[in-house]
Amino acid sequence: MAVVDHLEDSVPHPITVDPRPQVERGPDGLRRVTGRRCRSCGEVAAYTWPRCPSCRDAVEQASFGPDGTVWSATVVRIPVPGRTPPYALAYVDLDDGPRVLAHVRAPVDAATATAPAIGSRVRLAACSADGDIQVEVLA
Amino acid sequence: MSTGNRTTGDGVAVHGVGTSHFGRQPERDLVALAWDAVREAFTDAGVEEVDAAWVGTVFGPAGVAQRVLRAMGITGIPVVTVENACASGTTAFAEAHEAVRTGRYGRVLALGIEQMTTAFAGAITPEDTDPEGRSGLALPALYAMAAARYLHLGAATREQLAAVSVKNHAHALHNPRAQYGGRHTVEEVLSSRMIADPLTLLQCCPTSDGAAAAVLGPATGGAREVAVRGVAMRSGAPWNHTSQHVWGHDIVRDTAADALAAAGVHAVSDVDVLEVHDAFTIGEIVTTEALGLVAPGGGGEAAASGRTALGGAHPVNPSGGLLSRGHPLGATGLAQIAEITWQLRGEAGARQVDGARIGLVETMGGGVSVLDGNACVVALLEAP
Repeated sequence: MAVVDHLEDSVPHPITVDPRPQVERGPDGLRRVTGRRCRSCGEVAAYTWPRCPSCRDAVEQASFGPDGTVWSATVVRIPVPGRTPPYALAYVDLDDGPRVLAHVRAPVDAATATAPAIGSRVRLAACSADGDIQVEVLA
Repeated sequence: MSTGNRTTGDGVAVHGVGTSHFGRQPERDLVALAWDAVREAFTDAGVEEVDAAWVGTVFGPAGVAQRVLRAMGITGIPVVTVENACASGTTAFAEAHEAVRTGRYGRVLALGIEQMTTAFAGAITPEDTDPEGRSGLALPALYAMAAARYLHLGAATREQLAAVSVKNHAHALHNPRAQYGGRHTVEEVLSSRMIADPLTLLQCCPTSDGAAAAVLGPATGGAREVAVRGVAMRSGAPWNHTSQHVWGHDIVRDTAADALAAAGVHAVSDVDVLEVHDAFTIGEIVTTEALGLVAPGGGGEAAASGRTALGGAHPVNPSGGLLSRGHPLGATGLAQIAEITWQLRGEAGARQVDGARIGLVETMGGGVSVLDGNACVVALLEAP
């Protein structure tokens, strides 16, 4: 029976699909989020969802970035499993693109950690080793 | 106080309510906590059995509803478990209400249960299958984003955020079942440990265990029956770069409009007492604005001035709210229903809102990214 023939199936499979938006580096060396744009209403999303969450029409692949504006930001100072606080997070409205949650790349220590000012201009940076979207504040 | 709207309810009444104590109770199990709530609700309603039960829980294990009900001899009836994040308890209430209203069942139990201390050391672990959860967006950080935005826009001050905590902790001093009552100053709230900028520890709900229950049935005009005027439930619309308001605002606004229309209540200013979702201080500010109780940008001032305090024009969270009563997720909505029921019967003791005739319960739960809340329930109740 399958039950004994496939003992490897008797343990759960790990979650291998990363739900976070995917960032790709273009030929110009800049990074952009690969998402979708609605062919009908123009709504954008940072995800590969099957249809437009706004009007339900068909979507096509689109890329967004590399720059954006901080809509809001915070510094998380409590323990979160698998992470070391403090870390700064920002909702970033990518130019002509969707709002994405990003980690703000900066030297962060507990004493000096601050969130970027709302309205700051930021640019997509390389993702963290763990796959988090990261941005850096533009001077 | 209320100007009237003396139409009748929708034919459904709350016949009895009950709760456990709220707090860190890892030494008790959900069977014991649920029994406290159900025993009190059944005694309050003068009943021994129900025809069906809806049970709200978020982190309860598979089968937990039947497990706790079986222990108290509630077996052989339809039992439905519902999960709607922080609105799970009020979702159970809304579904129980609809089952009675439509005549599907005669007498229905709505029960909310949650044991947080045995599941989490601190804040709820962000959900790894959600994009923003996987990115480390703990719930305090989600609310912190709204708070930071409010501060940036000048729609609230840090002191006004803290005033919500001061108010609700003071209310809880009069609630013997609350987890943390306290007389705090604005300065104490602001100087407590930073959790997610700008929200400090005393602006965040604690980790809580508890249960709460309500028995619903057809309205018979009984002297202790609290009539249901109207209930509404929604999930959120997309929340993204096009949204005009902070996260969680529009779903509350729209659900409240549905509930007010269902209740035939013309304006939320006709409501005498409210229990709303204040998991974090900014939550109460956004909610009072979204409900239309205060003008946009007026939520912080309303808390700081005492307008939404006991003794004010529109007391909000006389129980202490989630901030101070505690927030066992699945139980919270029914704890709110219990508080408003006691208020409308005049049984709320030292935290009684004098002459309260119409009460409102609002719960909003989230955790799904790019969505303006997983669920919101708003219910309007009326005094016997």
